[in-house]
Amino acid sequence: MSRGTAAYLGALAALAALTALAFAAGRFPVSIVDLLGAFGSKVFGFAYALPENAETVIFRVRGPRVLAALVVGAALAAAGTAYQGMFRNPLVSPDLLGVSTGAALGAVLGIFLSRDVWTIQVFAFAGGLAAVALVYWIGSSVPRHDPLLSLVLTGIVIGTLLGSGIALLKYLADPYNQLPAITYWLLGSLAAVNPADLGAVSLLALAGLLPMLLLRWRMNLLALPDDEARALGVNTTRLRAAVIAAATLMTAAAVAVSGIIGWIGLLVPHAARLLVGPDFGRLLPLAMLLGAAFLLAVDTLCRTVAPIEVPPGVLTAMLGTPFFLWLFAASRRGW
Amino acid sequence: MNGRAYILLLAASVTCAPASAQQRIVDGAGRAVELPTRVERVYAAGPPASMLVFAIAPDKLLGWTRAFRPNEAAFVAPKYGALPELGRLTGRGNTANVEVLLQLKTDLVVDAGSTAETYVSLANRVQQQTGIPYLLLDGRLDAIPASLRTLGRALGEATRGAMLADYVESALKDVKARVAQVKPEDRPRVYYGRGPAGLQTGLAGSINVELLDYLGARNVAAEGRGGLAQVSLEQVLAWDPQVILTTDPNFYAAVWKDARWQGVAAIRSKRVHLAPHLPFGWFDFPPGVNRVLGLYWAGLLLYPQAFPADLRARVAEFHRLFYHQAPTEAQLDALLGEPGVLPR
Amino acid sequence: MLKARDLAYGFPGRTVGSGVDFELAAGEVLCLLGPNGGGKTTLLRTLLGLLPSKGGSIFLQEKPLDEASRQDIARTVGYVPQAHAGVFAYSVENMVLMGRTAHMSLFAAPSARDREAAAQAIDTLGIAPLAGRAFTEISGGERQLALIARALAQEARVLVMDEPTSSLDFGNQVRVLGHVRKLAAQGIAVLMSSHQPDHALQYADRALLLGEGKALALGAPREVITPESLRHLYGVNVRIVETADGAHTCLPDHALRQ
Repeated sequence: MSRGTAAYLGALAALAALTALAFAAGRFPVSIVDLLGAFGSKVFGFAYALPENAETVIFRVRGPRVLAALVVGAALAAAGTAYQGMFRNPLVSPDLLGVSTGAALGAVLGIFLSRDVWTIQVFAFAGGLAAVALVYWIGSSVPRHDPLLSLVLTGIVIGTLLGSGIALLKYLADPYNQLPAITYWLLGSLAAVNPADLGAVSLLALAGLLPMLLLRWRMNLLALPDDEARALGVNTTRLRAAVIAAATLMTAAAVAVSGIIGWIGLLVPHAARLLVGPDFGRLLPLAMLLGAAFLLAVDTLCRTVAPIEVPPGVLTAMLGTPFFLWLFAASRRGW
Repeated sequence: MNGRAYILLLAASVTCAPASAQQRIVDGAGRAVELPTRVERVYAAGPPASMLVFAIAPDKLLGWTRAFRPNEAAFVAPKYGALPELGRLTGRGNTANVEVLLQLKTDLVVDAGSTAETYVSLANRVQQQTGIPYLLLDGRLDAIPASLRTLGRALGEATRGAMLADYVESALKDVKARVAQVKPEDRPRVYYGRGPAGLQTGLAGSINVELLDYLGARNVAAEGRGGLAQVSLEQVLAWDPQVILTTDPNFYAAVWKDARWQGVAAIRSKRVHLAPHLPFGWFDFPPGVNRVLGLYWAGLLLYPQAFPADLRARVAEFHRLFYHQAPTEAQLDALLGEPGVLPR
Repeated sequence: MLKARDLAYGFPGRTVGSGVDFELAAGEVLCLLGPNGGGKTTLLRTLLGLLPSKGGSIFLQEKPLDEASRQDIARTVGYVPQAHAGVFAYSVENMVLMGRTAHMSLFAAPSARDREAAAQAIDTLGIAPLAGRAFTEISGGERQLALIARALAQEARVLVMDEPTSSLDFGNQVRVLGHVRKLAAQGIAVLMSSHQPDHALQYADRALLLGEGKALALGAPREVITPESLRHLYGVNVRIVETADGAHTCLPDHALRQ
């Protein structure tokens, strides 16, 4: 069995196990028997009497949250993988062009204006798309020799500008009421995911993931210098635009629903690359599986260790870093 | 009198008779503060302090930390509603400019809230920097009567301060007595949900749920001690509170339509309530004397058998005493009739 | 195969060279000689269609270049740049497989046919033992051979090589140039730029001398590469020496005589 296949099977097995575990674990006590009965009754149609509220918990609270963790984790990992390849830099995260900062500004504005949760999420999604559109438009209009460098620089500049907007809103917000809400949103959380959120984020993430998966073989050529890729027959400008659009769609949708959860887009692509190498044909699907599994593991911990929620960004860093260091030490290849 | 004695007397009279007479007040943090006997221009550093100063000597208040919205301003006399917005000086985030204090010829700065070391040092720094006396009062519910008395003395309105302090004291005693009648098994499990999704709450001991602690309520989140915290919906379902109190109108509107909350005991028995907020919120924030009304409101919702059902008279009296304007019948209707405030 | 007529090339706002005129036939090796900064790379990029020309015309297999799509060009012309390290550790096989992109549709993955073409190209260049190694871990000469293999996997009939032997050691230089001649013998047209007049003298069928923004000479190497033309091009004095069996080489005037 080749290394690639072993890694895939391992990731799938881990994902299945973690999903089962995630459904079984939670602050609301649900026994394994009840869990199996609930699923069985949905799938096979027999009647099963569940304790009060258990059905709500399994299918409307825990279920959407588990599935959302899978979708968000896969989306962030895929976007990070795409950007690291496209910008030829393993230190790049999906927020390079400002999508997370733009989404954060949108959400903070929504909280500042005392809007309801759905509106806040829509603001966040729109903010993320608008930020990258702005960066892309400015970055492409500036006449430079290196299109990637101008994108990166514009991303940094616009990201800083948006960040200062967030800081200003935090300053002006009512410190008793709005500021805590803003702080919690920026720390990230999947606690408030409902079935409608899950539907929206899945649809949008799929709209981004599908084109990326279809183009993944061609994306390898973005690792070459521009001249070479074009000489090999690739329209690099259009391919880059397509990859950025797909990654932005996925990431904006993910951030709108979960707030800012860092490290997944940075660490998971590395781990996947250390396992199967840089060829996107194998790398992208594995990164998605690993990202989904990782965020699911983290989120399950976040919601079970204590009555209060632990911000997922804290755990992704604390758990991800030692795991990654081990993987890095154990592997012999380069990036 | 010989010449030397005369010079000594002259020197003594010059040094012992300053332009204005001084008084010495010990504030809520134990600081001894020298301030003029006649104080005319007072800056309140945050909403709890604003309410105290406004209640005792409204004409001496220089401005509000945040301008009133039109629906809030309707509850105070127009001249008070129109006072300028000066920003906050302490608490979380400063928006006031210290130079503005000097420009306004402030006689006294008053702050009410935490008396922890951080705030004591802040008070001392502002006082040293500007030369303006700074009174730091204890903002806890129990300490409000003492704060009112201290502030009354400082502002030259000792009688009024004492009268308001007596009112608060007797209200607090009344509430405690009513709560004592309620047996532990009759106290419902209550959850306080903040934020647009209703998933932020106050842990045991946090100022956000000070009223619940005062009412001896069974806060479901009291498993942990601390301040604000975020919880998951699953946790709330596991706690299954019988009463839910909230301060977010978006959450209040959404919770009835959200299928995931329908199984919670409080939703089924329709015991989800939205705290009144005009002109100042009654529950949680701002953490000032306005919460005395919140005690009666929350007490009624939690222990209907022990608290008077009709709040109108008490609300009117409180507004008259502390906001200097009795609300009209229509205003009372609007205040108490807002959906979710009282049981249907 | 590749024809340039009165070609002017450069960047927006700046013309680097003009008046280039040549025809490259199948099986022919044409060596481009010129000093640093003389515009060799710019000319090559223009011939590949990566830069718009500033005047004149280019024809690829009798069709105007600006009418051809990127994919069409890629199916005919293979670009072999100077070997670089790259950031990510793609395997040599993957690198060569990238050459098949021109023959793959937008969403396709490499087919068995593609893998076979890549394997064949790797064999032709004699680097089969390296196929599984990481591109970043092999030597400069091996990388250059891999890049040539990639151009072959493209099924290109024309190879455009930009200084393919710079930064290679002597042995690798000889090996790479040997491969170039073998490919020409199989009917591939090769346009190669170089710093070394010896490469033109020893491996090329014709040489094109580029200097001062124009083509100074075009023709058989031993005719156009003379001490005068080299002095004009590089500003140094050399002698052209012919060996007994008809090979030529270039010797600097102050080469030591033992």
